[in-house]
Amino acid sequence: MREFAVFWGCTIQARFPFIEKSTRLVLESFGLPYRDIDGFTCCPEKSLVNNIDRGSFVLTAARNVALVDELGLDLVSPCTGCVSNLSTVKGELNADPREKAEVNGLLREVGREFKGVSRLQHLVPFFHDTVGIHKIKQKIKRDFDGMRIALHYGCHMIRPSHALKNDDPLNPVKFDNIIRGLGAESLQFMTKLMCCGQGLDRVDAHDKALDFARVKLKELKAIGADALVLCCPSCFLQFDNNQFLMIKEGERLGVPVIYFTELLGLALGFSAAELGMTSHRVDCSPFVSKWEALSKRPSPSAGIEAGLTGPSALG
Amino acid sequence: MLETTLDFKLLEMCSRCGACYSICPSCMNIPGYDPREVIRDILSGEHEKWLSSRHIWECLECHYCVEICYQHYGFENAMTALRMVAARKGMHPPQVKRGWDMFVKTGKLGEPALPARKKLGLPEPGASGADEFRRLHALLKERRAGAGEAK
Repeated sequence: MREFAVFWGCTIQARFPFIEKSTRLVLESFGLPYRDIDGFTCCPEKSLVNNIDRGSFVLTAARNVALVDELGLDLVSPCTGCVSNLSTVKGELNADPREKAEVNGLLREVGREFKGVSRLQHLVPFFHDTVGIHKIKQKIKRDFDGMRIALHYGCHMIRPSHALKNDDPLNPVKFDNIIRGLGAESLQFMTKLMCCGQGLDRVDAHDKALDFARVKLKELKAIGADALVLCCPSCFLQFDNNQFLMIKEGERLGVPVIYFTELLGLALGFSAAELGMTSHRVDCSPFVSKWEALSKRPSPSAGIEAGLTGPSALG
Repeated sequence: MLETTLDFKLLEMCSRCGACYSICPSCMNIPGYDPREVIRDILSGEHEKWLSSRHIWECLECHYCVEICYQHYGFENAMTALRMVAARKGMHPPQVKRGWDMFVKTGKLGEPALPARKKLGLPEPGASGADEFRRLHALLKERRAGAGEAK
């Protein structure tokens, strides 16, 4: 496996450092060759920067990719938006030599060069394709047999597919495969692929953002999901923080929101506190305590000898 | 401006299709949000009225429309073009303006939360590339001024 740099992005480091914590714990447990490198900036965030200044969007992303290109590293990020934006620009520049030359003309003046050769991956496809589900199964101490998990892919893990090329953009399976590999049931429900709607919170439309969160959370409540599992800080913000705001207003929701790395961390034997899950706004303990109760459940073969004491064929 | 960034031939097809309408999360959850209307107005040269509309900022850029579009073109391109024009005229929402100012100043949309990091036992965050980022942006501005591009 090639060494890779982790691109943390702004949101995780500024608002959810506990996600960085669980990601590091998981990467270290698997002994994966990751590095922290200096010099990254915002990826940049598309809806904000691209709408105002396209040139700045392309240049900033190209510079971030150039940093890993230079060191001969790949890039992995626990943020879907970062990977999607960086990949979009990488694909565009690789397909357009003239634009690439223009960007490199500017980058050269600060001593950088965009080559566009590094592999950029989001953490979930990375675990699916590069680490492998068999490896995950070998490594975990306990699976999630009996737990009912609702997945939220996050639009930018899989779209735009022409830039990311990692899963079916309209019927993705990789995240499901991993969850099933961890022994849990991956619930199928109407709003599974619905966008979280966090983008609305960034354009002064907070109430509409809440509307979006409500649609999905209500369905999850109705189908009895034990948790909503996702791997995007923006979606996390939407379902954890905004759900908390709605609960405070008296809405009866209460769906634990768990980051992919936290779920993996629990399976590897870390406690919820070690993984920073106690920093969530919405209480995760219903999920954790149900899981712990399941572990006290007798195994299917327990007490089997007691039933085998009758007369046997050998008398 | 719009003519240079949008392909009207493709949009002509869009105005008769509407596949994106069937999958767009904003269409499903925001009353009155309809791509077909926007595209019709763009084609008839009446895009101006959308520049001040909330709707153009309510596109979530989830890229669903691009994926389902038979032309792989999508409603998204029309919305992005409208947002770009609106932003040039300074008609973008205040929150977007604040975000942009922070991005230009710091190269980030938020600085690492140092006390929380310490509590979690996380290492020092990697050095920011903000200085180089600002230099690069100054160069971009210079080059644009040299090329006579208004910005």
